[in-house]
Amino acid sequence: MLEVVALSKWFTVPHGRIHAVDRISLSVQPGEVYGLMGPNGAGKTTTLRMILGLLVPDDGYAEVDGFRTTVDPEKVKSKLGFVSSNDGVYPWLTVREMLLFFADLYAVEPELAKQRLEQLAQLMGIAELLDRRAGALSTGQRQRVTLVRGLIHDPPAMLLDEPTRGLDIVGTQTIFRYIGHLRDLGKAVIVCTHRLDEAERLCDRFGLLHRGHLHYEGSLAALREQTGRERLAEIFVDLMDTSDAPAIGPQRII
Amino acid sequence: MSAPRGRLFRLCQKELRETLRDRRTIITLIMMPLLVYPILSMTLNRFLLNASLGNDPRFIIGFDNDEEGQWLKDILTSPGSQPPAAIRKAVDENLAEFSYVGPSNGKTLDQILEEKLIDVIVRVKLDPPQSVRIISQGDEPNGLNAKRILSERLTYFNQSLVAEALSTSKVPALPQIDIQVEQIGGVQKTTLLASIIPLVLVLMTITGAVYPAIDLTAGERERGTMEALMASPVPRGSVLFAKYIAVVTVALLTAIANFGSMFVTLWTGGLLELLVGKDQPFPWLQFLQIFGLLVLFSGFFSAVLLALTSFARSFKEAQAYLIPLMLVSLTPGILSLMPGVQLTGALAVVPLLNIILLSREILSGAATALPTIVAIFSTICYAAAALLLAARLFGSDAVLRGSEVSFAAALKRPEEPAPVPSLSAAATTLAMLFPTYYLVSNALAMISEWSIGVRLIINAVALILVFGGLPLFATWYSRNQPRTTYRVSWPRGTALFAGLLLGLGLWTWAHELFVFGEWLGFQSLDTSKIEQINELMIEFRKIPPWLIIATLAVTPGIVEELFFRGYLFSALRNHLSASKTILISALLFGIFHVLTGKSLLLERFLPTTMLGLVLGWIAWRTASVWPGIVLHVTHNGFLELVACYRDELEKWGIGVAEQTHLPWLWIAGGSLLITSGFAIIHWGSRIGCEFINRRQ
Repeated sequence: MLEVVALSKWFTVPHGRIHAVDRISLSVQPGEVYGLMGPNGAGKTTTLRMILGLLVPDDGYAEVDGFRTTVDPEKVKSKLGFVSSNDGVYPWLTVREMLLFFADLYAVEPELAKQRLEQLAQLMGIAELLDRRAGALSTGQRQRVTLVRGLIHDPPAMLLDEPTRGLDIVGTQTIFRYIGHLRDLGKAVIVCTHRLDEAERLCDRFGLLHRGHLHYEGSLAALREQTGRERLAEIFVDLMDTSDAPAIGPQRII
Repeated sequence: MSAPRGRLFRLCQKELRETLRDRRTIITLIMMPLLVYPILSMTLNRFLLNASLGNDPRFIIGFDNDEEGQWLKDILTSPGSQPPAAIRKAVDENLAEFSYVGPSNGKTLDQILEEKLIDVIVRVKLDPPQSVRIISQGDEPNGLNAKRILSERLTYFNQSLVAEALSTSKVPALPQIDIQVEQIGGVQKTTLLASIIPLVLVLMTITGAVYPAIDLTAGERERGTMEALMASPVPRGSVLFAKYIAVVTVALLTAIANFGSMFVTLWTGGLLELLVGKDQPFPWLQFLQIFGLLVLFSGFFSAVLLALTSFARSFKEAQAYLIPLMLVSLTPGILSLMPGVQLTGALAVVPLLNIILLSREILSGAATALPTIVAIFSTICYAAAALLLAARLFGSDAVLRGSEVSFAAALKRPEEPAPVPSLSAAATTLAMLFPTYYLVSNALAMISEWSIGVRLIINAVALILVFGGLPLFATWYSRNQPRTTYRVSWPRGTALFAGLLLGLGLWTWAHELFVFGEWLGFQSLDTSKIEQINELMIEFRKIPPWLIIATLAVTPGIVEELFFRGYLFSALRNHLSASKTILISALLFGIFHVLTGKSLLLERFLPTTMLGLVLGWIAWRTASVWPGIVLHVTHNGFLELVACYRDELEKWGIGVAEQTHLPWLWIAGGSLLITSGFAIIHWGSRIGCEFINRRQ
């Protein structure tokens, strides 16, 4: 469903180039939740943006349902749902208007969009908010609206970028339920997070990203076998300790 | 994939809904006009009251002789001619002062008035019944003021005479002094309107467009909706176009609200005649003209503002970009108040200044066709280039990453080669090419003292430099591959032969369309210009035919084809359907041939556009620029040779007068050649081998 092959991205800076993502390869199947993990600046968001077609890769490619992001960007976008912690709302539209606007962007038939909106609103508990102005919502309410927005066009694959950042315990639980729901629906899901405890509970497979490199990949059992460590957090600390450069900071300049 | 039309409409609807609900837009749209103009009106009223009551103005009055001057001087200094005490008190006893002059240096008073050396002429009939004629120059505000004040003072004087007569129980013979007012020269009706409105247009459209432009671009990023929007499968161009429509609409609504409020305030305050002239009917036509100009201004400013705000990541940054733009925009607005600056030559293509001057000329009824069309067309080019630049920047890598956004980054030469130019690069090239070509043509039209042979060579060199050089530079700068950009792949030999046949036949249809265009009224050459052309033709026949062919057939044939059916065609075709590409390139081809030198050759539009359509179709069918070059060179060469050997042809009984239909046998022969050419291209060439690489 979701295939990433030798995906690379570098940015030009005054003294050379930064390799933000360096030949990453991974694949996610329908009904599978893949945790892409790493510290801040590891290249998680850049990878997701390349899969989404927001950034053009400098090498390699990403495919969703057989369509490449660089060849058919609009086809790829139509097959992806995207939720990020930075997601905002249009403050002067009502929640209903905003969600139907996004459904329209994804070319969902108006009648079908209305039906789907009602179902998702019930599921995520925002039915009573639909006719409120989006600018007047609380953080938690906005987050639920954003989650509905990501699913409004019923995409086969979902990308979640740090979805629990800045949320309280109730909000985090909502996200967990949401990801469980996505798995039940048979979506291929990539979740980017640095919350390793959450990831252990949520994800079927993991990719450990550090300074643009995918160091380990596999199920928790496979990672335990490879590293001899029990917990993801321990594997991660080892990975950062063995590295030459500071764990969080500028990436390798070539 | 382009957004379906319905969705584009809904995109626009959403942007408008969002903007129009925003209370900051409402403040600009409603509160400003409601509050500002009544306050301004009160200030203006006060100012005008002061002005009308004197405030120490000085006026110069011209007299035919000293006797008349002395007579008026006596009246104006007498207490009877003074305004009532309440008015004198209001202006602190500062009443208008007058100087008196007679004819000098052999000039009549009328001439002196025309030269604006005096404000009014007063002619007095001293024998009873006495009368005074006060004459002012039609469009001179000082003169009008002087005329008004003199009339008032003489009326006061008359009233004082009546009052005096009544107090002494005499029966006055009324009126004591007959006061007549006259105007010479232009009628005062639009001077103030034409001077002020362009500046007001700039202020109002910018005011209306600034906030939505920032909110709909930089605001997307600031409120965190940019990524979600960019992640949706709608082309960036469509998203931006919807935003453009919203910004234009709000700018228009704001400007209309402002104008409405301004006119209502002036009307109810009795000041409207200041703008439109005294005793003039309600200015419906000028309202329509102003609305048309508003659309032009809003369209231009909205595109430029969107291009600037698309760079920005936050409101603050966008505001920092826009403040210099607003200041720069006011400069041409103020320039338009200067009487000597006119919409001619180079000024017709200077962005913004051209439409400001155009507004002034339209509103004063002095606009002429060529500069009007040049100003409008160049403005559309600039707006399109700005909009395409905005589409390229909006939601781009740099904006999304939020780290390396700068003007330099946007204009940076790409690192990777691209097979064809982007639409924004082509629009920018076009926006540069059009004014450059216009300026060069204008300059070349002025060097009439050189021989026609030299001028032909210079023309050809200019064409190569402008039409060849600018796109070539753009191709190099954007690292476009020349072969796919200029579509120079070699076609089948039959396609070249078909180009030759069409070149030999198409002139007959072009000629008939030319005659048809004249019948429709597309006639811009008057008798004197036709005579000039005939004189030129005599000189033309003296130069060697090879020079004519080289400069008027081969050079334009190659250079224009490489641009219109090469560079421009490949850029358009990468984003548009074949039919739209052919149509747009043909229209631009037609427009470029109309706007040439100092004349507006409207009659060339139909035949040239028809030729452009055929050339575009061939370029598409054969996926090559070469058959078009053959057609273009043959077509031009054939026509030039016919013109060159016209006398010889007429001796053989073959008439080739421009204003008449061709003999039917000629048309039939031409049509046969055309049909054969079309058939060969249609059945003998393949489609689909051209490069199309649609990417965002």
